[in-house]
Amino acid sequence: MGKYLLRRVLEMVLTLFLIATATFFLLEAVPGDPLAERADKMAPEIRANLYAKYGLDKPMLERYVITMKGICMGDFGESFVYAGQTVQSLIKTRLPVSARLGLQQVILGVGVGLLLGILAAMKRGSVWDYLVIALSVLMISIPHLIFGLLLQRFFAGSLQWFPTIGWPEGSDLWLGGWEYTVLPTLTGCFTYIATYARLLKTSMLDVIGQDYVLTAESKGLSQGRIVRKHILRNSFIPIITQLPMSIAMCITGSFFIESIFSIPGIGQYYVLAVNNQDLSIIMGETVILAAMYIIVLFITDLLYVVVDPRITLTGESK
Amino acid sequence: MSELSKDQFKIIGYKEENINKIERPTISYWQDAWRRLKKNPIAMMSIVVLGLLVVLIIVGPYIQNYDYITMNVAKKNQGPTGANWFGTDNLGRDLFARTWVGARASILIAILATGIKLLFGVAYGAAMAHFGGWVDELLMRIIEVINSIPSLLLTILIMMVLGNSFPALLVALSITSWCNTARQVRGMIKQLRESEYIYAAEVLGAGPLRIIFKHYIPNMIGILILDASTAIPSFIFTEAGLSFLGIGLKSPDISLGVLISLGQQSMDFYPYQLLFPCLILCVIVMAFNLLGDGLRDALDPKLRR
Repeated sequence: MGKYLLRRVLEMVLTLFLIATATFFLLEAVPGDPLAERADKMAPEIRANLYAKYGLDKPMLERYVITMKGICMGDFGESFVYAGQTVQSLIKTRLPVSARLGLQQVILGVGVGLLLGILAAMKRGSVWDYLVIALSVLMISIPHLIFGLLLQRFFAGSLQWFPTIGWPEGSDLWLGGWEYTVLPTLTGCFTYIATYARLLKTSMLDVIGQDYVLTAESKGLSQGRIVRKHILRNSFIPIITQLPMSIAMCITGSFFIESIFSIPGIGQYYVLAVNNQDLSIIMGETVILAAMYIIVLFITDLLYVVVDPRITLTGESK
Repeated sequence: MSELSKDQFKIIGYKEENINKIERPTISYWQDAWRRLKKNPIAMMSIVVLGLLVVLIIVGPYIQNYDYITMNVAKKNQGPTGANWFGTDNLGRDLFARTWVGARASILIAILATGIKLLFGVAYGAAMAHFGGWVDELLMRIIEVINSIPSLLLTILIMMVLGNSFPALLVALSITSWCNTARQVRGMIKQLRESEYIYAAEVLGAGPLRIIFKHYIPNMIGILILDASTAIPSFIFTEAGLSFLGIGLKSPDISLGVLISLGQQSMDFYPYQLLFPCLILCVIVMAFNLLGDGLRDALDPKLRR
C-alpha cells in the first residue's frame, strides 16, 4: 500500500511537470506579443523595463527554468494585462466563488438524481420509470450552455424572478445572496441529475437480479430493509467512484456557466485571460486546474478500493 | 407385432432434393442490426429527423434565395415573418439562411473531427496491440498524460496557438478525443487475438489480410459506430461552447455556437435570435443521441434480450 501510494504520487508529480512543460511551450508558440498593447505608447527605456520585469528580454529556455522554479515555489507570476494581479491572489478571491457554485450543483444534482434513480428502479416498467428515463435523455441532450441561456432569458429576463447576472460577494460569499445562485446552480445540476439517475437505475437493476437479494426476500426481510441494506449498499459502488469525476467536471463546466451569468469565478477568468492573451495567468491556471484534476483522478482510484474490497490496488490478484 | 417395411411409408410434403435446403434466409450481422433498428420507433424517427436536417443544411439557405451575409439595413431585427421565417439579425441578415449555414459548419466539423478521431484512434490502438512490450507501455503513458488534463483546457490552448479558424478547430477538437478510441481498439484486438476462432482461422491457413478483414474489422465496427454516434453530438456541443466563449470560430465565420453567442447579446429585446439556433442545436444533438441509443441496442449482441 505504502509503496503503491509513493509510486502514484511520484507519477502525479511527473505528469504535472510534463503538463507544465507542454503548456509553457504551447504558450510560447502563441503568435503575437502579450505586452504589445500595454507597451504601445511607452518611452523605449520604460518599455525595456517592463519587458525586463516580466523576463521577456531573456531567451526562452532561461524563462522556462525561471517559470518552472516559480511553480515549484508556488509563485505563478504576474498578469501581463492587469498589473499587480497574480495567479495566487486570483485563486484566493475566485476559487471560493467557483467552489460554492460547484458544491451547490453537485449536492442538488446528485441528490435529486439518486432519488429519481431509486424511483425508476423500484417502479420498473411503470410510468415513473419511463418519465425518469425520458427526462434524463432530455437533460443530457440539451447542452447546459443552451439550458443556461434559456433559463436566463425566461426566469431572469421575461419573468424577472431572479437577477440576470452576478454573484453574492463579501459577507454573503458562502451563505447568502441565494437568489443569484438559483439559475446557475439549476443550469449545472441537470447534467448530474440525468447521469446519476441513469447510473443508479442500471446499477440497482443489476443488484436486484442477484441471488443474495432473493435470499433476503426468502428470509422474509421487509421490502424497505432489503432496499436499504442489500440493494442500495451494493449498487452505490459506481456512484461513489463516479462522484470525483463529477467534481472534476465542475471545473470545466464552470467555464460556460460562469461566462453566461458573469460569475467572478476561476472559469470565467480563464476565458477572459484566453481572450486577452494573458499568458502568465493562463500558464498558472492551467497548472493549478490540471493539478486539481490529477488529484481527483487519484482519489477516484483510492475510492475504488475503499468501497469495494474485491479490488486491490496493485492489480496483481483479482 | 408385424415388421415395419419401407414401402409402408410414403414421403409427403417435401422433395428429396430439398432435404438440405435451409428454409429461412441466412441473416448477416448487418441485416439483423437493421431489422432491430427498424423495430425501434425512436431510432427510426431520429433517422428521419437527421435526414431532414441534412437536406435542410444543404438546400436551406437557397429555399428563399437569401444570402447568409447580405445585409439589409431596412430590415434590421425583424421578428419571424413570411418573408424571413426565422426573422433577421441586427444587420438585417436572414436568420433562416444563417442558421442552416451555421448548422452546416457545426455538423461538418463534428463529422470530420469524428473521422480523425476514429482513424487516428484505430491506428494508434492497433499499433499498441500489435507491437506490445515497451512500445505499448510508452504509447499508453502518452495517453495517460493526455487524459490527465481536462480536455477543454488542452483544446483551448491549441486554439490559442493556431488561431480561430476551421482547421484549427478540427485539430483542437480531435487532439484529446482519440485516446478513448485507441484504448478500446487496443483492448478489443488483444481480446480477439486470443480467441479460438482466430486460432482456428490461422490453423486453417488464413492469411493476415483475410483475418483482418473477415474477423477483426467485422468484430470491431459495431463498437466503432457507437463510438462515432456518441462523439458527433459531443463535438457539436463542444464547438458551440467554444464559439460561444469566443475561443472557437468567430464572426464573420458562422456556426451554431457563433449564432448563439450573437443571439445572447440581443436576447432581451429579440429573443427569437437566440431561440432558433438553440432549438436547431438541441434537435441535432438529441437526434444523434437517440439514434446512438438505438444503434447500441441494435449493434451490441451482449445487450440483446
